[in-house]
Amino acid sequence: MNRLLLCAALVAAPSTLAAEPPTAIVGATILTVSPAGNIEQGTVLIQDGRIVAVGADVKVPAGARVIDGAGRFVMPGIIDAHSHTAIEDNVNECTDSVTAQVRITDVIDQQDVNIYRQLAGGVTAVNVLHGSCNAIGGQNAVLKLRWGVTDPAQLVFAEAPRGIKFALGENPKRANFSAPGPRRYPATRMGVAEVIREAFLEAKAYRREWQEHEKKVKAAGPKGVPPVAPRRDLKLETLVDILDGKVMVHAHSYRSDEIVVLIALAEELGFKVRTFQHVLEGYKVAAEIAKHGAGASTFSDWWAYKLEAHDAIPYNAAVMASKGVNVSLNSDSNELARRLYWEAAKVVRYGSVSEQEALKMITWNPAWQLGVERWVGSIEAGKQADLAVFSAHPFSPDARVELTLVDGVVRFDRAKDTAARNAAPAAGGAK
Amino acid sequence: MKRTFAAVLALFAATAAAQDATLLRGGRVVPVSGPALARADVLIAGGKIAAIGPNLAAPAGATVIDVSGQHVYPGLIDGLTTLGLTEIGSVPGSVDVREAGDVNPHARAWLALHPHSELIPVARAAGITHALSAPAGGLVSGQSALVRLAGGTPAALVVRGPAALHVAWPSGSAGFDIAQMFAEPELKTFDERQKEKKKNQDKALARLAELLARARTYAAAHAASVAGQGPAPELDLALEALAPAARGEMPVVFRADAEDDIRGALAFASQHDLKPIIAGGLEAWRCADALKAADAAVLAPVDRLPRRESDAYDAAYTNVLALHRAGVRFAIVTDDASNSRNLPHHAAMARAFGLPAEVALRAITLAPAEIFGVAGALGSLEVGKSASLFVASGDPMDHRSAVIHVFVDGVPQSLETRHTHLYQQFKDR
Repeated sequence: MNRLLLCAALVAAPSTLAAEPPTAIVGATILTVSPAGNIEQGTVLIQDGRIVAVGADVKVPAGARVIDGAGRFVMPGIIDAHSHTAIEDNVNECTDSVTAQVRITDVIDQQDVNIYRQLAGGVTAVNVLHGSCNAIGGQNAVLKLRWGVTDPAQLVFAEAPRGIKFALGENPKRANFSAPGPRRYPATRMGVAEVIREAFLEAKAYRREWQEHEKKVKAAGPKGVPPVAPRRDLKLETLVDILDGKVMVHAHSYRSDEIVVLIALAEELGFKVRTFQHVLEGYKVAAEIAKHGAGASTFSDWWAYKLEAHDAIPYNAAVMASKGVNVSLNSDSNELARRLYWEAAKVVRYGSVSEQEALKMITWNPAWQLGVERWVGSIEAGKQADLAVFSAHPFSPDARVELTLVDGVVRFDRAKDTAARNAAPAAGGAK
Repeated sequence: MKRTFAAVLALFAATAAAQDATLLRGGRVVPVSGPALARADVLIAGGKIAAIGPNLAAPAGATVIDVSGQHVYPGLIDGLTTLGLTEIGSVPGSVDVREAGDVNPHARAWLALHPHSELIPVARAAGITHALSAPAGGLVSGQSALVRLAGGTPAALVVRGPAALHVAWPSGSAGFDIAQMFAEPELKTFDERQKEKKKNQDKALARLAELLARARTYAAAHAASVAGQGPAPELDLALEALAPAARGEMPVVFRADAEDDIRGALAFASQHDLKPIIAGGLEAWRCADALKAADAAVLAPVDRLPRRESDAYDAAYTNVLALHRAGVRFAIVTDDASNSRNLPHHAAMARAFGLPAEVALRAITLAPAEIFGVAGALGSLEVGKSASLFVASGDPMDHRSAVIHVFVDGVPQSLETRHTHLYQQFKDR
């Protein structure tokens, strides 16, 4: 039902945009994060929310709205593959070890100021994940940061496939915190693996039950007595969708052993892990992650905050990438999300990743991890016009975001922001 | 030039080991205390900077390191950390940051420093040669030490201990925490909670004021008894430890973020003749005038979220810029331990949002040295100062720059860390 409403809302949007003149960012250095590489003195032409042309000799049509990009750097909008933005106090449904039925889309706050703050850091899309307090958590929401919309459904990245959060290690066994009430199973990594196996065996039985029911419906024919349907179970239904490849698994993980154990479990039970999240010891089992075909979404350099983060190293991203793993750098934080461009710059230092590859880790790679790389993640004709315009190369210490566009719409404009605060001096900040 | 040479000779005389000398040849030298030298040599001898200038002669036996194309900076100083006091955040056995109880002026950071902490080489390999290691929590958290990030015993780490007394300012602002509201046995209105918070603050401050008064009395009685003018006071280690701060001889670092709390701490310090420093200071920009009037320094991390939803998105990034413009003394700090290596990146964010680059660099070198009274030896590249410095491939505020050499008091430091070891172990697996 929600989805239907949502589609209606999104279909309506382009028709209102269709009358808009095209937008052109001209004279900028364009970091396309595509085979075209970096383009000096380039132009990005935008029409109806899409990039229609990019290059050094793109003709700007008469009547186009022109954004002067001289001295500026344009990169694809940053994608944060691990976020809890816009759902404050609704991160964890902790009461059960499997909560596949709950949905982040039900708790989105489109007015969360962190949406705007992250736009100001060049972020245009975020993967809002359920928390990590249970082995199988709730379903995530991939959002586009369309700050200003009044209906939370309008933030949802409609093309993004569904996804779900899994969690391994200390958090689902609740080693680091205590919640009110009795202790909850599982309390060890053994229990975490068992919970996942049991849940999927149950889901397979549920799937068989429905398959048999459908056979009976078919046998009865349109005129026969319809058989009684099995009771619908939203939790098991979601797990079946995982088995059927309709829902992407994003698995919170730290230690190398729990990573390979989940890979083995997934292969035994017949599902795929789309990404390992955090995956701070991924560098120890990078070949196994690559072989399974999972991506890895990690921190650039956080470590030491808990025991399972003690072997975290800032070379993690570089090592995993060198073994063929699709690697992204995420924030898991409303604060860190605002400077992911510098998180990417760090992997140039730690492990000598090329600047091109480092940029990919906050754009195209997370887009692939969320299954939206056809629409976003690089500056190419046909893609949605999600762009960040910087005052300098995004990796340089003078870099600041000047403009952020989502679907071709300017959702953050530093000049306007500072002008507005001059009108309201109590807001503070630099004039 | 002659004077420099004489200084070099004097230093050599003072230190028997002339072969300990190191000459960094041909780098871009950024002294912080003065303009950068496009190409100069730095001579290290006896643990100190013996000379800086073009074409210095290498003393016999000196190690000569070619640093042409590289950049020489004074060691970075992280003015607020828990380095040496914490190892793994979630493992209580490895954390010595917060003592039990609320009043712990006699909790001394330098008695709990773990010189072999894995976190120390990680910070050091990023060019951080010194840090303030401070206890936290309670009301009176304890005393901090300014430490060098090299050495095999707690004593070897300490440059200055005590550096300051640390107080967690009891906040009088309730904030809005819906989870806490529901956790309370009776539902209270915001006003009721605010009133209660204020009451608790008044109680805590009355207690602090009384402690300070008793500490001064204690110190006076003790001095009188030493002079033979009265009986010795009954031994009270907490009052004894509190006395130097109570008498204005030791700075008091108040941890406070909200404007009201910062102003409150400054007023309290003025009322009790304390020397205040503000740690955190997220809303310091809102009371730069009061900070300037009190001559209070601010220890401010930059990479934070604004305190209020209505604040400008870059309020935390431009906080130190406002302090700079108002002439308030400040250091940029991480307020961290494992992430202390990102100190120059906090400075970079302030710079990207308008703080002049040289001021940003000063805020992580000379400024914290001045705040903690060690600028005579640390914080800049000057002849006679400690040879605590590092060589980098580029601007340390640029995340891509690599640190190539680190010296602490003239001693070259290994750049190997837990991280490089694990990297080597697994990169080709």
